Amino acid sequence: MKNIEIFYKPEGRLRLTMEDRSYTEVKLAWASPLSYPDKYLAFMDGKGREIFMVTHPEKELPKDVWEMAKIELHRRYLNGVIHKIVTLKTEFGSTYWRVVTDRGETDFLTQSLQENAQWLTPTYLMLVDVDGNRYEITDINALDERSQELLSVTV
Amino acid sequence: MLSADQNSTVREPEGVLAELTADLTEDGRYGERIVRVTRELVTVLDLSGAVLLTFPISDLESAKNDSLVSGGRLILRSKSHEDLIVAYYSLTMAQQFGELARGIEQLAKGDELSINLLVEKIRCEKCGKLLPEKNGVCPSCINRGKTMLRLGAFLKPYKSKAILLAIYATCSTLLVLVPPKLQGTILDSFNAGNRDPQFLFGMIGIWGGVLVGMATLQVLTGRLTTWLGAHLASDLRTKTYRSIEFLTLDYFDKKPVGAIASRVTQDTDRVWFFLVDGLPFLVINGFMLLAVAAVIFSINPLLAVLILAPIPMVALISMKAWKPISNLFFRASQKMARVHMHLNESLMGIRVVKAFAKEDSEFERFRLRSEELRNANVKADQTWHTAFGFMTLSVSLGTVIHWLVGGTMLFRGELKFGEFYMINAYLGMVYGPLQWFASVNNWFSRAMAGAERIFEIMDMKQEPAFAGGDTRKIEGSVSFNDVRFGYDKSNPVINGVSFDVKAGEMIGLVGQSGAGKSTTINLISRFYEPDQGEILIDGIDFRKLDLRTYRNQIGIVLQEPFLFAGTVAENIKYGNPDASLEEVMEAAKAANAHDFILSKSDGYDTIVGERGAKLSGGEKQRISIARAILHDPRILILDEATSSVDVETERKIQEAILNLVKGRTTFAIAHRLSTLRNADRLLVMDRGKVVEQGTHEELMESKGKFYTLVQTQSAVNEIIGIGAG
Repeated sequence: MKNIEIFYKPEGRLRLTMEDRSYTEVKLAWASPLSYPDKYLAFMDGKGREIFMVTHPEKELPKDVWEMAKIELHRRYLNGVIHKIVTLKTEFGSTYWRVVTDRGETDFLTQSLQENAQWLTPTYLMLVDVDGNRYEITDINALDERSQELLSVTV
Repeated sequence: MLSADQNSTVREPEGVLAELTADLTEDGRYGERIVRVTRELVTVLDLSGAVLLTFPISDLESAKNDSLVSGGRLILRSKSHEDLIVAYYSLTMAQQFGELARGIEQLAKGDELSINLLVEKIRCEKCGKLLPEKNGVCPSCINRGKTMLRLGAFLKPYKSKAILLAIYATCSTLLVLVPPKLQGTILDSFNAGNRDPQFLFGMIGIWGGVLVGMATLQVLTGRLTTWLGAHLASDLRTKTYRSIEFLTLDYFDKKPVGAIASRVTQDTDRVWFFLVDGLPFLVINGFMLLAVAAVIFSINPLLAVLILAPIPMVALISMKAWKPISNLFFRASQKMARVHMHLNESLMGIRVVKAFAKEDSEFERFRLRSEELRNANVKADQTWHTAFGFMTLSVSLGTVIHWLVGGTMLFRGELKFGEFYMINAYLGMVYGPLQWFASVNNWFSRAMAGAERIFEIMDMKQEPAFAGGDTRKIEGSVSFNDVRFGYDKSNPVINGVSFDVKAGEMIGLVGQSGAGKSTTINLISRFYEPDQGEILIDGIDFRKLDLRTYRNQIGIVLQEPFLFAGTVAENIKYGNPDASLEEVMEAAKAANAHDFILSKSDGYDTIVGERGAKLSGGEKQRISIARAILHDPRILILDEATSSVDVETERKIQEAILNLVKGRTTFAIAHRLSTLRNADRLLVMDRGKVVEQGTHEELMESKGKFYTLVQTQSAVNEIIGIGAG
């Protein structure tokens, strides 16, 4: 992947120039964000048509492009990645979470964990709150002991 | 022009028309930003009131809620085509911001602000906890009466029986206290030198009477408890089923059938076992504990205090262990529901499983889930037994203390032998049930987890009450007035649809998939209600109509007709159970179904099998049409009724449909546009809007969207072919 450049102009609108072509509005989308969270990144034009896809973006994209893409992905995928569970309480079928994430501390509420807590791998857990917001625990073993303990009793 | 002013602080708000709080900051972190709209400006402020950016509405070309994953952002586009990202927010706020975007556009056009920005409560005002449903009730505040009390409310219809049970329980407890007292008296009398056999026989006579009384009470209590428990469980089961029936359709969109079914069967069963076996013993033995404690106190208060001292410790262990054990059992019940779900799914799809030779992989999935269940059960039970071990140890302490302290008192002559013996017997009665309380905990944990899951269903958003509202017989005119609706509120599927349909008109809904056709008929059926705008039936807002009466006047023929297990005749008269066989046959004839039904050996008594498995697709469809004809609805909905059958069958179904639509307002969706040849008018939908309407000829002539659709679908040939034939 050479001669690629992506940048915001104006702020908020991502542009892409690739060899002799330029796209004034570009969207990034993971093709299979749950099964392959770091692979298959698609670049799409303003009409939602795929321009190209990279299988291993981190390896294949030039470093500056990947850095820029990460910023855009952080803006587009607003899932919170949970680092720590502060409190976790289940009452009358609702589970109340207070967590520390990569986006700061927050609380949320889940119901029917059977459907809304999905194990994507044996250690990767995705939680969906009552409004459809997603929270991820990418590796439960990386959580501190207390968080793991809270999690093991509830989920 | 756009401007971003970091330093200026906002003046006292004047002329604020709308204000929303975004729950993410500009760098995507959790935090709050205030978006304020006046007639002239959109302003974003942080919580301290500092202005982060402003946008003059006079410079606005468009405003939109840009859907992102787990949230969205409000983007304003200036007349010079520059985009400004105003705010980021989670899905919790996305619908509100979508509405705000619409409002900002209204202001830019110079219109009055006409949006529906509800002030939504997302936290409980009392305890500050997040609410499961916006503007809904807080379960932990409302249901503070605890699950037990709520279960107790189900006792109300059986009050007299419950009181009788309490009397039995009191009597049997008092009787249980008598034998040790008699034994102690005999022993003390012997120690005092009494050798009179008459005294002994007299005492044993009383004892025998007490035993007969206890046995009688045991029988009566047992029979009454079983009766009461079974009735309560049955009430609970039917009420849960009733609640499920009235849940809004979006619940069924999200939940697998198996998981819902297990709440009606397994969870109510758990509650039942507890009510029949656990609760009565809990009550009887609880009462006995108090009575025994009182008797021991009356004999020797000091000894009583010492030997009853471990009770709080036992209670503490029990309480401490309860919550995690309850969670573990809850988890096990969820795993059980998963097993059920998989079983339901793979059995229903067994043909597909076999066709793709996927028996092994389905088996592997089942095995994994079964193992998950096994592990969850093992963990729950093992934790339980560990806690129980500690409990047994603490319970034995009482007896040891009695022999130590009471024994010393006996040796010193401070306690009579009869009293020592009596207390020893009573101790078994106190600590025996205590030990047992802990094992009731096992059932209690399971039952309460089940009850919580049941109440969760009962507390969910229900369809507007069936009873109440206008019960008039409708003519069938239907009007949509600027209707907006989205399954996901921030993403409207129907976006400002307006049309008027006269009673008796046949309307064809046309458009590409995702255009909003099925949603439109879901709205007409009132499976969902519009987020905005109104739907008028005979000029009345359909929310004012009694839901049951309204739905009774709607008939639906679906792409995949659903038949219930039962006979052909029962299925045809599903909507009209009192219909005679003549009427059923009349409807079947009109539906072109009579002949094929007669060719079956049992005719109208033919069992259709679960979900109509014994009939072909075309046969099922014609039975469902007959069902709709007999139901005699004013508004008829045909959703792709002929899409999955061959041409000959389609012809038969077409004829049946012609009979069916006569004199009824009909909305038909069909992939094959030929089906809509007979429609009075076609509504062409695109991206949630009606973009064209008119007769087939008119639309073909105007060469608009419909024309393109016909061309691209190569449906012209079909129309000509069938039209010629």
